[in-house]
Amino acid sequence: MTFVPFLSPALCEQIVYSTAVVVGGLSLFASALKENFSDRVGSAAVAVFSMTVLVASVLTWGQTFSYQLPPPFVIGVFPLVLKVDDFTRLFVVLFSIVAFATAIFSPAYFKHLSNKVHKGQYWVAFSLFSLSLIAVVCSADAIGFLVFWEVMALSSAALVASDHVQKRTRKAALIYLGATRIAGGLLAGGFLWMYFLVRTWNFSSWDFSQPQTHWAALLILLGLLIKAGIWPFHLWLPYAYSAAPAPASALMSGFMSKVAMFAIIRILLFGHLNAVHIIWLAFALGSVTAFWGVLFALVQTQLKKLIAYSSIENMGLILMCIAFSLNASVNGHSLIASMALVAALMQCLNHGLFKSLLFLSAGAIEYSAQNLELEHLGGLAKRMPVTWTCMFIGALSLCSMPPLNGFPGKWLLYQSLFYDICVKSSFAEKGTAVLSIGLLAAIGAMAISALVKALAVTFLGNARTPNAANAHECSASMRFSQIFLTISCVVSGLFAQKIVSVIRHALSGATAQTADVHLQLPIFSIAAALTLLCCVLYFAFLRPAGSRQYITWDCGYGQTNAKAQVTADSFAQPSARIFRPILRYQNFSKIDGADRRHFPERINVETRIISLLETKVYAPLLAAITHSSKLIARLQAGSIHLYLLYVCSTLIVLLLLGVAL
Amino acid sequence: MNSIFTWIIFLSLVVLVPPLCLGILRKTKARLQNRIGAPVWQPLFDLTKLVQKQETLSSTMCGVFRFSTVVGLATSLTLIWLVPWIPTKPWAPAADVFLVVYILALEKVFTMMGAMDSGSSFGAFGASREATLNMLVEPALCLSLVAPAILAGSTNLSTIFSTPAVANSSVVWALAGGALFLVSLVEFCRMPVDDPTTHLELTMIHEAMILEASAKNLLLLEYSQMLKMSLFWGLSVQCIMHAIPACARFSLVESVTSSVIGIFFLASLVGLLESLIVKLQWRKIPEFVAYVVTISLIAVVVAISGKLT
Repeated sequence: MTFVPFLSPALCEQIVYSTAVVVGGLSLFASALKENFSDRVGSAAVAVFSMTVLVASVLTWGQTFSYQLPPPFVIGVFPLVLKVDDFTRLFVVLFSIVAFATAIFSPAYFKHLSNKVHKGQYWVAFSLFSLSLIAVVCSADAIGFLVFWEVMALSSAALVASDHVQKRTRKAALIYLGATRIAGGLLAGGFLWMYFLVRTWNFSSWDFSQPQTHWAALLILLGLLIKAGIWPFHLWLPYAYSAAPAPASALMSGFMSKVAMFAIIRILLFGHLNAVHIIWLAFALGSVTAFWGVLFALVQTQLKKLIAYSSIENMGLILMCIAFSLNASVNGHSLIASMALVAALMQCLNHGLFKSLLFLSAGAIEYSAQNLELEHLGGLAKRMPVTWTCMFIGALSLCSMPPLNGFPGKWLLYQSLFYDICVKSSFAEKGTAVLSIGLLAAIGAMAISALVKALAVTFLGNARTPNAANAHECSASMRFSQIFLTISCVVSGLFAQKIVSVIRHALSGATAQTADVHLQLPIFSIAAALTLLCCVLYFAFLRPAGSRQYITWDCGYGQTNAKAQVTADSFAQPSARIFRPILRYQNFSKIDGADRRHFPERINVETRIISLLETKVYAPLLAAITHSSKLIARLQAGSIHLYLLYVCSTLIVLLLLGVAL
Repeated sequence: MNSIFTWIIFLSLVVLVPPLCLGILRKTKARLQNRIGAPVWQPLFDLTKLVQKQETLSSTMCGVFRFSTVVGLATSLTLIWLVPWIPTKPWAPAADVFLVVYILALEKVFTMMGAMDSGSSFGAFGASREATLNMLVEPALCLSLVAPAILAGSTNLSTIFSTPAVANSSVVWALAGGALFLVSLVEFCRMPVDDPTTHLELTMIHEAMILEASAKNLLLLEYSQMLKMSLFWGLSVQCIMHAIPACARFSLVESVTSSVIGIFFLASLVGLLESLIVKLQWRKIPEFVAYVVTISLIAVVVAISGKLT
C-alpha cells in the first residue's frame, strides 16, 4: 500500500510533536483550572491528539523515519530517538482509537464521582499516560523506552489511585505500583545486561540468537510479562483494573497491556530469540494464563473484575501466539511462524477494541446503576438499550463469534497449531499442538459462559435492587464512545482479510520472514448469509405481532420475585464445582428454624473461592519481606548514640582497611 | 438438469430428514415401551401446528429472546449449508472446521441469553448447565473434527470428506465418528446426560432453556434443534462410512441413500439407548464427557502417528 503523501513525513512529525507538546502543556495547565473546565480542556486535548496521531500515521503509511528529540529531551548524554515504521503504526492506530473513545467518555463519566476524584489531577495523569504510551511504542532505543515506560507506569498508577478516598483503591494502587517497580527493575537489568554484551542501546542491533544473551532475554521477558499480567504475575491486574475509573481501565487494558506484547515482539521476536527453553516457558505460561484467567473470570461476581480476568485470558492467548511463532521460526517453518505472529497482532488489535468497549460499558453501568456487583444489577437491557447492545456485541467479539473481530485472530492461532501438526515435527511438539487446540476450545467455551453470565445477570431479567430499577441510559457522549468502539469492532471483523494483509505488509517491513498468510475464511458471506436468514425468518415468523404478554412461568405460583432469579454465583456453580481443586471452591449453607425442613426461618448460603496463589505464595512472601524490612529498620532506631556508633565503627573499619591494604 | 436434480434432493432432505429423525427416535422408544406411538411424521405435524398458534411472551423479556430464536435457526440453516453432512450438495462452499465449531457456539450463546431473558430461574439453570456442558464437550467436538482433518492435511470440511481413504485411516474415522455421535448426545441433551421427556423443570437442561418459548418461537427453536441433530448424526455417519472401505466404491445415489439410512439408524440407536440406560446424576456427567474427550484424543493421536511414519 503506497501512499503519495501530500504531507511530507517531516511535516507530519512536526505536527504530531507539536500537538504532543500542546497536549502536555494544556493538561498540566488543566490541573490549575476549575474542575468543569479542566474536564473539557483535558478531554478535547487528548481527543485531538489521538486523532492527529491517527491521521498522521495513516498519511505516512509505508514510510520509516526516525526522529531525534531536540535538546531539552535528552537523558544524560543519550539523545531520545523515536522511530516510526509500519509495525509501530499498527499500534499507534489502535492507541488513537482507544484513546479517542476514552477521552470522549471521561467527562460525563466523572459526574458520578465528582466529589471523590480531582479531575485536574486525573487529566494530568491521563494525558501524560497517553503521551507516554505513544512514546514507548515509538522508542527506538532502550534508554528512551525505559524512561517512557516508567512515565507510563507511574502515570497509570496515578490513574488507578484516582478515587483514593477508598481504601480498596489505595490498596490496588499500591499493589500495582509494586508490580510495576519489579517489572521496571527486571527490564532495566535486562537492558543493562544487553548493553554490556553488544555495547549499544539501539533495539534494532540487539540480537538474541547468541547463547550469552539468553539470560538478558529472560530478564526482559519477565519484566514485560509482569506488565502484561501473565500468570503468576497477574495478581495486580484485577485489582488495578477494577479500582481504576472505567475509562482509565479501558485505556490500560485496551492499550497498555498491548504495549508489553508489542515490546516482546519488537525486542525479542525481531531480535531472533532462539532459546528453546525460554520459548517453551513463555508458551506454557501463556496457556496457563489463558486457562487461569478465564476460569477466574467465570467465578467473579463484580463486572469490572470479571472483564479484568478475561483480559488476563486474552494476554495469555497472545503470549501463546508469540511463543508459538518463535518456536516455529526456530524450527524453520516460516509459514507457521508468520501465521502465529499475525494471529498475535490480530488479537492485540482486536482485543484492544472490544476490551476497551467492555470497560466503557461497565463504566456506563457504574454511572447509571451506581454499582458493579452483579448481584445488585439486573434488567438493565430495557433501561439502557444502547449500552446493552454495545456491550453484547463487545462480548460476542470477545467470545470470538464468527462475523465479529475476535474470531480471525483465534482462527489463525488454531490454523498455525493445525499446520504444526501436519508438518514434519517431533511427536512431543505435535502432541502439544493437539492439546493446545483442545485447551483453546475449552477456553473459548469458558469465555462464553463467563460473558453470558455477566451480561445475562446484568441486563436480563428483573432488577435486583432499586438502584438498578431506577437506572437510566447514559449521556450522549458516553453512548457515542461505546457506539464508536462497537462499530470499529464490527468493521474490523468484517474487513479482517484486509487487516491481515495490512499486518503482513507491516511485518514485511520489520522482519525478514514474510510468508503468505491469508485468511481463507468466507467471513463476508457468512455474515451476509446470517443477516439475510435472520431478516427472512424474523419477517416470516415473528413480525406479525399479536403475541400475548404474560408473566414468566413459575409453576403456577404467580409472579416471580426478582430475588428468586439466578445470581452470578449460582450460574457459575456447576462449572466452579468441576474446578473446585483449583478454585478451592466451597459452598456453605445453613438452614435455621423450629421446623427447618418444611418452614425454614433463615437460610444462609455462602460460596467461597480462595486464590491459592494469593494466599499460599504471595501472602507469605510479602509477610517475609515485611518481616525482614522490620529487622533492617531496627538499624535506624532514631537514637543519636547508635548513629554515632555506626559512624565511629565505619571509620575504624575504613582505617583498618587502609592499613591492611 | 443434473444440478436442478441435486438441488431438489438436497432441499427435500433438509426439510424431511430432520423431523423424520426425531419421529423415528420417538417411534423406537414407543415400540420398546410396548406402545404404538405417534406416527413418524408427528414432529412435522407438530411444527405445522405451532405455526397456527398464538405466542405468549413473558412481560419481563427485553427482546433478545425473540431475536435468539431467529439467530438459532439462521445459524443452523447456515451450518446445514456449510457442513457436508450428506455426500451430495448442489454447491459446496468452503467450510472450515473451526469456523463451524464457532458458529455452533454462536447459536449456543444466543440460546443461553434467550433462556435468561425472562428472568426465570428454570431457564437460567438450564443455561448454566448448558454452559457447563458446552465447556466440557467443546474440546471433544473440536478434536474429533481435527482428527480426520489431520489425515487430509486441511481444515476445509469438504476437502476432508472428499479425500480418498488412506490405508490404516479406518481407525481414525471410526473413532472420530463414534466421538461425534457421543458429543451429539451431550449437545442435544439426550439420555445419559439429560432426559428430554422429563416433566421436572429442575432437572432439565435444554428443555428448561426453551420453557418460555411458544408457538412460532418454539417452532424456530425445535426445527433448529432437529437440523443440528441430523447435521451431527449425518457427520458421524459420514465418518463411519469413510471407515468402511466398501463405502468408497458407492455411487452417488447409493451413498446418499446409505447416509440417510445411517442417520435414521443413529436416530433409532439413540431411541434404543434412551430405553435401556438411565440418566446420569449431574455430577457424574463430567466423567462421561471425559470418556468422549479421551476417544477424540485417541483419534487425533492415531492420526498423528499415521503422519509420523
